[in-house]
Amino acid sequence: MRALTFLLLESGAGMTGADSGKTRLVVGGATIAGLIAAWYIASTTGAIPKLDFPSPEQFVAAARQVVVEPGFADGLLFDHLLHSVKIILLGFFAATAIGVPLGLWMGWSRTAEALINPIFLLIRPIPALAWIPLAIVWLGLDDAAKVMVLWFAAFVPSVINSYTGVRSIDRPIIEASRMLGIGRMAVITDVIVPGALPSIFTGLRLSLQGCLTALVAAELLGAILGLGKVLYQAGLDIYPAMILVGMVAVALTGFVLTALLDVVESRSMPWRKR
Amino acid sequence: MADIVLDGVSRVFGHGDKRFVALDKVSYTVADNEFVAVVGPSGCGKTTCMRMAAGLEFPTSGTCKVGGKIVDRPGPDRAVVFQQFALFPWKTVQQNIDFGLRSLNVPRSEAGDRIAASIKLMGLEGYEAAYPHQLSGGMQQRVAIARAYVLNPQVLLMDEPFGALDAQTRTVMQEELLRVGRINPRTVMFITHAVEEAVYLADRVIVMTRRPGRIKETIDVKPVRLAEKWDNYERIEDVMDLESFVHLRTRIWRLLREQHDPADH
Repeated sequence: MRALTFLLLESGAGMTGADSGKTRLVVGGATIAGLIAAWYIASTTGAIPKLDFPSPEQFVAAARQVVVEPGFADGLLFDHLLHSVKIILLGFFAATAIGVPLGLWMGWSRTAEALINPIFLLIRPIPALAWIPLAIVWLGLDDAAKVMVLWFAAFVPSVINSYTGVRSIDRPIIEASRMLGIGRMAVITDVIVPGALPSIFTGLRLSLQGCLTALVAAELLGAILGLGKVLYQAGLDIYPAMILVGMVAVALTGFVLTALLDVVESRSMPWRKR
Repeated sequence: MADIVLDGVSRVFGHGDKRFVALDKVSYTVADNEFVAVVGPSGCGKTTCMRMAAGLEFPTSGTCKVGGKIVDRPGPDRAVVFQQFALFPWKTVQQNIDFGLRSLNVPRSEAGDRIAASIKLMGLEGYEAAYPHQLSGGMQQRVAIARAYVLNPQVLLMDEPFGALDAQTRTVMQEELLRVGRINPRTVMFITHAVEEAVYLADRVIVMTRRPGRIKETIDVKPVRLAEKWDNYERIEDVMDLESFVHLRTRIWRLLREQHDPADH
C-alpha cells in the first residue's frame, strides 16, 4: 500500500503543464490513501491506543451504526445532516441578505457609512459564539436561537467584504459611468454590484465557514438533532469512533456547501472565465 | 458650438505649508471642431485641465465653460477616453459601447445602428461578444474610443489615451484617430507627454510649464500641416520625416527642455 502511494507520487511529480489538474487529483488521492494506510498500520500494531483513537474498523462500524441502523443520538445521520444544513442555510441567507446590501450601501454612501459604521464597529469584535448565552435566554434551546448565533457569524464578514468590494472598484470605472451619464439604479446594478462581486463572494465564503463553526458550537450546547448533537453525545458516551464519524460528516458538509458556492460564484461572473 | 474655454483657471491643493498650486491662472480656448493637444512635463496640471472640462474636477478660481455653459458635472456630451481605458470588465465589447446609449434613452433600433457603426469605425468587428480582459491593450482602447464616439459627443476629452500602449500599437492608434477625426470631426482636448504624437495629431499644441502649471506657448500646427500637405501621407513615419514636422517637433522639445529642472537630477 505504501509502495503504491510512493509510486503514485513519483509519477505525479513527473507530469507537467496540461496534466497538472489530473496530477493534483492523483497526488491528493495518494496523500489521503497514504494517511489511511498509516492509520491502519498504526492502530493494528497498537502504536495508537484504541481507546484514544479509533481503528479504521471501529470507524466503519460507527459509521454504519449512524448511517443505516439503528442510528445515534436520536436519529440517523441523514436526519442530523438535514437538520444542520437547514439551520446553516437559514442563518446564512438571513445574514447575507441583509449584510451584503448593507455593506454595499456603506461602501457607496459616506452618509450610510457614518450612520451605520459605529453600530457595526460595536458588533464586529464580538465573536459569534459570545451570542450563545443571550440567544438561549431570548429564544431557548430552539432552532431559532441557533439561527440567531449563525446570523451574527455570517453577518460580519458579508458586510465587511461587500464594503471593501465597493471601495476597491477602480476610480476611473466610477468616473466612466458618471461620464456616460448612467442613472442611479443602473450604477448600482451594472457597476457597483458586479464590481464588488469578487469581494462579495470572498465574504460569502467566510460567512459560510462562520456558519459551520457556529453551528457545531451551538449544537454542542444542546440540540434535538444535528451534527453537533452527534459529536456531543459521542463525547458523553466516550465513543471516539463516533466522534470521528461526526467530524468527518461536518468536514464533508462544509466541503459540499463550499463547492456549491464556488459553482454559483463562477456562474455569476462569466467574464472571469478564460 | 462646442468650444472649451478655460478662463483664469487655478487649482490649489492643500493649505498652509502643504499648499501647492497645480494650475496658475491658465486661460485657453479649444475652438469648435478644433483638435488641441496639451503637452508638458508630468505634474504640470495638463490632466487637471481636461478633468475640469469633463466635470470630474473643479477650479479653485476661474471658470471652465464648454459650449458656453459652466461645467458643473460630468456628462455624455463630453466623452472622456481614460489612460487606463476604464472599460467595465463585466460587460462585453457590445455592452460596454451600449451602456451610455441606454442612459441616453436612444431608441433600440437606432442604438443598434450606432453601435454597429462605431464598431466598424474602430475595426472591432468580430469582437462584439468578447470581454475586455480577452483583448489586447490596443483593442481595449479601441473599445473605449468607440464607447466615446457612439455617444456622438460634441467634445472628446482624451487623457494620454495611448500612453499605456506599446510603440507599434500606439502608431496604429494615432493613424486611426486621425482617420476617424477626418470622418467625424469633433472638438478634442488631447493630453499627452509625447511631443511627436501632439504634432502629428493636433491643429494646435499648447505647451505647459510645471509647478505651478502655466501656459508656456501655443504652437499652430494646422497652417503648417495644410501648407506642407501632410494629409497626403498615409503613414505617420512619412510625416515625421518631413522637414516641417521635424522643425515643429524640435521647437516644442526646446520649450520643454528649457524648463527642465536640474534639481531633479
